[in-house]
Amino acid sequence: MNRAAILWRVASILVAAGFIAAWQLIANLRLVSPVFLPGPDRAWAALVRGFSSGDLASKLIGTLEHMAYGWLAASIAGIALGALIGSSRMMRAYVAPSLEFLRPLPVSAIIPVAIAMLGLTQGMALFVIAFGAIWPIMLATIHGFAAVEPRLYEVARSLQMSRAAVIGRIALPSALPDILAGMRLSLTVALILSVVCEILAGLDGLGQWVLLSARAFRSADLFAGVILLGATGYLTSIAVSLVEQRLLAWQTAAR
Amino acid sequence: MSVVARLDEARAARRQKALIAFNATTLRLGGKTIIENLDLEVRPGEFLCIVGASGCGKTTALRLAAGLYGPTSGAVTFDGEPITGPRREVAIVFQDYGKALLPWRTAAGNISLALEASRVPARERSSRIEALLRKVGLPGHADKYPTEMSGGMQQRLQIARCLAQEPTTLLMDEPFGALDAMTRQGLQDEVLSLTQTSQTTVIFVTHDLDEAIYLGDRIVGLLPHPGRIGIELAVDLPRPRDQLATREHPEFLRLRRQLFDFIKATEH
Ligand SMILES: Nc1ncnc2c1ncn2[C@@H]1O[C@H](COP(=O)(O)OP(=O)(O)OP(=O)(O)O)[C@@H](O)[C@H]1O
Ligand SMILES: [Mg+2]
Repeated sequence: MNRAAILWRVASILVAAGFIAAWQLIANLRLVSPVFLPGPDRAWAALVRGFSSGDLASKLIGTLEHMAYGWLAASIAGIALGALIGSSRMMRAYVAPSLEFLRPLPVSAIIPVAIAMLGLTQGMALFVIAFGAIWPIMLATIHGFAAVEPRLYEVARSLQMSRAAVIGRIALPSALPDILAGMRLSLTVALILSVVCEILAGLDGLGQWVLLSARAFRSADLFAGVILLGATGYLTSIAVSLVEQRLLAWQTAAR
Repeated sequence: MSVVARLDEARAARRQKALIAFNATTLRLGGKTIIENLDLEVRPGEFLCIVGASGCGKTTALRLAAGLYGPTSGAVTFDGEPITGPRREVAIVFQDYGKALLPWRTAAGNISLALEASRVPARERSSRIEALLRKVGLPGHADKYPTEMSGGMQQRLQIARCLAQEPTTLLMDEPFGALDAMTRQGLQDEVLSLTQTSQTTVIFVTHDLDEAIYLGDRIVGLLPHPGRIGIELAVDLPRPRDQLATREHPEFLRLRRQLFDFIKATEH
């Protein structure tokens, strides 16, 4: 790490520390009633308490499960559909207009539909999360497949590669940077929708924990849940970025 | 026997001996005739150069020979059989090496692509890759990505990948067009030594008249709109060719003059 990078890192830590200090100050001065705003000290204590009593950990696992299943389902379906649509010009011409209609549709609009059809179940949550998370992945995959260098397809033809080999060895690796970027975006979507579904359907998870804490005016517990959600989003995103860096090492080798 | 019949017979005999033959080939693309009534035979082991003004159909002719295009009428044959698509014994070296290489694969990985396509067992690949890299003057660069290599090195890599196909025929479309003069001359000699020893048949498209004379056994000049043959010259220069002696040979200068006049007449 060079000097500039270290300075930036130090600066970002200072900003975070300043933010926490300001939060503590506001809480100590009771600018906001402690019923609504606990200080970082109380939020931290609630976090530790939540884990030691065991309940918070199981809620965290619940949310991680919802998020992971929905995200994985969205990834598999999004990459498969995106590859199908993106690799054929005709498919792109036929399907693209429908996608443009469906894409801006807020996912919240389909939640009532999903509840009506599937009830307040895990299946409903899985469907809603996957439905919301599929878009960034599918659109990125379509773009990635459509943008494959045509010359490479000619190379594949002159090597008489099979269709499967063309997809696996040329199209997929070429589209991988787009696909991974889409997967990283949809991770956040999956987290948000996990929480929404847990709140609406009362499913085991941090969404439910946050809702129940708010109803009981346990603001410290509420904040512990929110902090945990933030950390989940942050850490999962870092994890995907690390995988991305590893898989796309060839891009950095170039520069 | 009529004169026409006898000419036809002679042509048929020549075609029989040809490895690649264009037989009254016409190609129309998007309502435009790009190649018209092209008759051309390439003998096994021959080094044929195609020159011509920009847009006269050189690349198109090469793509017909590669099986990337099918003729609108007439035929293009390989070893007497109509060409229906690309085949493994015919390799194409594209001009834009940067686009023809897989940027996510190393030099070794790019060569491996051809070996994988030919179903060479995995355990044999690394030794074959090493030999091919040595052959094109890239030993020790196996783990480099194309973007870490110079233009000349990338084109060498593409040639190595083509050689991995073990082709009997190489189709080269202005392969050195984007390279500087020194790199170019080095690669010209390498291509000659790679193809002359193995008796590989080559169709080599170039803008550079000197390059065509230096490399070829025969040169065909195309006329534009639509593409057809305008001139055909046999290159009677001793082999092996030499960058200095060959280029100073009186025959070289005579051919150069002749080709130059031809190209000049086609461009107005
Ligand atoms: N797919 C296509 N559809 C319609 N016209 C085409 C197509 N490909 C090439 N042409 C036209 O055919 C003509 C010959 O093209 P070609 O690429 O074979 O020329 P070239 O001799 O290789 O030129 P250059 O020296 O610039 O590479 C050009 O006028 C070009 O515009
Ligand atoms: Mg061309």
